[in-house]
Amino acid sequence: MDAFQHLMAGLGAAMSPGNLMFAFAGCMLGTLIGLLPGLGPAAGTAILIPLTFSLDATGAIIMLCAIYYGAMYGGTITSVLINVPGEAASVITCIDGYAMARQGRAGSALAIAAIGSFVGGTIATLALVVVAIPLAQLALKFGPAEFFGLMVAGLCLVIGLAGKNLMAALLMTVLGLLLAMIGLDPVRGAPRFTFGFPELYDGVGFVPVVMGLFGIGELLLAAERREARMIEADLKKWNPTREEWRASAGAIGRGTVVGFVLGLIPGVGSIVPTFMAYVLEKRMSKTPERFGNGAIEGVASAETANNAYANAAMVPLLALGVPSSPTIAVLMGAFIVNGITPGPFLFTERPELVWTVIASFFVGNAILLVLNLPLVGLWAKLLKIPFSYMCAGVLIFCVIGAYGLKQSLFDVWIMLGFGILGYLLRKLDLPLAPAILALILGPMMERSLRTTLEISAGSFAIFLDRPLALALLAVPVIVLGFMLLKPRAFAPVRQADAE
Amino acid sequence: MLNRRTLIAASGAAALAGPALAQNFPRKAIQMIVAFPAGGSTDIGARIVAAAAEKEFGQPVVVVNKAGAGGQLGFTEAARARPDGYTLAFLNLPGLNTIILDPERKAVFGIDSFVPVINQVLDPGLVWVKADSPYKTFADLIEAAKKNPGKISACTTGILSDDHLAILMTHEAAKVEFRIVHFDGGAQQLTGVMGGHVDVAFDNVGGVFKRVRSGEVRGLAVLDTERSKFLPDVPTAKEAGYPTIVSSSTRGIGVQKGTPPDVIKALQAGLQKAMQNPDHVQKLEEAGLGFKPMVGEEYAKYYADLHKQAAKYTEWALKMR
Amino acid sequence: MPSGARQGWLIATGIMLALCLFAVWQSSLLPLTDKLGPGPGFFPFWLSLIGAAFSVALLISVWRAPADPPDTEPILPRGYGARRIGAIIGTLAVTTLLMEVLGFQLAMLGFNIVLLVALGERRWITIGLFAVAGSFGVYYVFTRWLDVLLPAGLLGL
Repeated sequence: MDAFQHLMAGLGAAMSPGNLMFAFAGCMLGTLIGLLPGLGPAAGTAILIPLTFSLDATGAIIMLCAIYYGAMYGGTITSVLINVPGEAASVITCIDGYAMARQGRAGSALAIAAIGSFVGGTIATLALVVVAIPLAQLALKFGPAEFFGLMVAGLCLVIGLAGKNLMAALLMTVLGLLLAMIGLDPVRGAPRFTFGFPELYDGVGFVPVVMGLFGIGELLLAAERREARMIEADLKKWNPTREEWRASAGAIGRGTVVGFVLGLIPGVGSIVPTFMAYVLEKRMSKTPERFGNGAIEGVASAETANNAYANAAMVPLLALGVPSSPTIAVLMGAFIVNGITPGPFLFTERPELVWTVIASFFVGNAILLVLNLPLVGLWAKLLKIPFSYMCAGVLIFCVIGAYGLKQSLFDVWIMLGFGILGYLLRKLDLPLAPAILALILGPMMERSLRTTLEISAGSFAIFLDRPLALALLAVPVIVLGFMLLKPRAFAPVRQADAE
Repeated sequence: MLNRRTLIAASGAAALAGPALAQNFPRKAIQMIVAFPAGGSTDIGARIVAAAAEKEFGQPVVVVNKAGAGGQLGFTEAARARPDGYTLAFLNLPGLNTIILDPERKAVFGIDSFVPVINQVLDPGLVWVKADSPYKTFADLIEAAKKNPGKISACTTGILSDDHLAILMTHEAAKVEFRIVHFDGGAQQLTGVMGGHVDVAFDNVGGVFKRVRSGEVRGLAVLDTERSKFLPDVPTAKEAGYPTIVSSSTRGIGVQKGTPPDVIKALQAGLQKAMQNPDHVQKLEEAGLGFKPMVGEEYAKYYADLHKQAAKYTEWALKMR
Repeated sequence: MPSGARQGWLIATGIMLALCLFAVWQSSLLPLTDKLGPGPGFFPFWLSLIGAAFSVALLISVWRAPADPPDTEPILPRGYGARRIGAIIGTLAVTTLLMEVLGFQLAMLGFNIVLLVALGERRWITIGLFAVAGSFGVYYVFTRWLDVLLPAGLLGL
């Protein structure tokens, strides 16, 4: 196979001492910066871009991709240890990963996250090698109408996240959707619900919201619990137990598939595949009630899907020059500044470069695993720092993270406000994940519907012409309606497992 | 010619102009507010000039991205900054104009809020289609549009962007009507047209010229008075018989109203030299960004003229809402 | 359901209902339809209407659920826990208010010291070291090495 030969050549180049060093440095730096609460992969990658200016093109790209993976894993570390998500998709890791940490199983959570990410990333890259260009072209068929369908289907995933009370989850979804409507509307580009605050023209900004709801909310809860440390339970050994392995294996497999397939579609974003893999895992489990309380399969599926997605998203980037998410857009900008414009001609003009980069994905994934597994025990020990110092430290970085995005103190206020809200909602046992899902998907849904209608000049018949879009739309709505009709949806909440 | 002699001569001239320049400017780091996200073509151009300007001024020149609301957030921030020359505004035209002209946006800045200092990039509009599209020339497209009013879809990179105004200019000049579809940025536009969902894209040369060169897409017309040096084989709309369709995205640097004139002069001199730096010119070329430095009077006039032109088409666009 | 939680739910759904009604009103001010279909007000209008309906449904079901005798812990924190929460929120709010004036470094210095003391720390050396690292140190790393701008304050710090 021609591609295979290219890949071998690329691997050789990628493993040259210089490039290996860049990959290593990138992983290290990326993890360190992703570790700082509030910075997240997008900001972290953007911040480290200038480091690559002095390198040659190949080295720069290798380092940038390594930084990207590293930052994603750094975000996973903060999600598990302190419930601060690095990006929206990490919210799922927060839910089960942090619960595991509170039980003393932070080590297992981090280890499974690293391993799952490695497996997902490697398989996705292998698949990428085989299918890159043809699949990319096929993925182009996915237009605004199909995108709308996917967003609606994604929103209906909320059923899977519902937990005890479906109505509460739906209410939170509505809340998230309403929040998502703040900003310039996609129809006229005029402000909506902004009450005179130009800072809101771009929406509430999900980074401050998510940091507030999860990170600060958790700090407040921990403060109330009057503990001396964030996590009181004894730390168990970091390697996962036999049962944990077995449970995770299936999750990793399924997560890889979901993440990879969705990663090929340009513009989907990491939240849909992550949530989808999680919900799928929950549905398939014989004990779904464990999810949300420290089910290792939850962490495994989410992290694997996330990384498989991230690697697969390189396909639209490299093959078409289309970035699938803000973080990848930052990466693409960095490529361009370094003189490399991603696109199909890149494969023909500079194949050695492209294949070296692809080969370095393998290397990067491997390095990340090798680097982080031994450190997992160390990260987990961080939890033993006294609460007051931990709290102050986390808050410092959250403030920097919220402020640093747009140099706006307004965002810091938003973070604080949502922190208080997150605390109150958690006290009431109201689920936060549906609101986050809605906050991200809402605008994309509205925008894609608008674009679809612009293309069809207002005719909804366009959906009839596009069976995939129709299918995506119909199925979840039917399922949701069916579930709503069941009497259990309206059951009052019993505070069964009180904190 | 951009060789050492010219540079030395230029700096000599600047030194002679010394007393007219603020002696102590700049004394600390200069901020450059870019109203668009990191990695985008505006940002790329800004970073290139910032790096060159740092050498000229001997002080850090830091690019600050304040993206959002199609640039409004960044422009607002820049307009409100202290007029001391330490907060430069990267001005995108006609983006700035359309925001000012749309009453619903309630912009706190106006055309007078900024003093244009020097322009950097002029990225002309480009009309392109997929490589296997039935339209081989701009005339083909117009003919088809005349036969099928409102059926041929044309997409932009944003509501009230220069692409949007360009489509309206085409409506006026060629007496046709496209079905206008708005995407959110170049990446979406690319997938939209390449995937066959929209027929033609109104875009800019900088974002897509490499793809035209490689044959991945077909350029139908450059919306400028002369052909683009990056795409010498693509005719202009003027050549196709429509000399009034001239549209581009221009990016330059401005300061706040009320900045002391000697500071402005110092900035102008320093930035001009920075832009003449061969490294700067070369990097802009690689990125496909057309270099068009305009200083002082020339830029101010361009700025004012463009606003008038934008006013006309923006009003149209707003009426269509 | 425990009375504390029940109260909490009633208040929460009540607020949600009010929010939805407000949103219904606000979105009715925007055009609901457009030449091409849903206008800017369309989604928010129907969404908030549905939200209001959900809130009412939830409100009713919580109201009708049998209330457990009021015995268990009140839902809102008291005493030590409440003080810690207040300390965190309070110091963060004040610091944010003062940040543009004092600049990141001074504001954070104060923040660190006040928060650590409020949360019960008394080892002054550690507090001091942490506070300096967490304000001046962090500022240095971010602004010099990483090029991230942080507020400089009126004193230009």
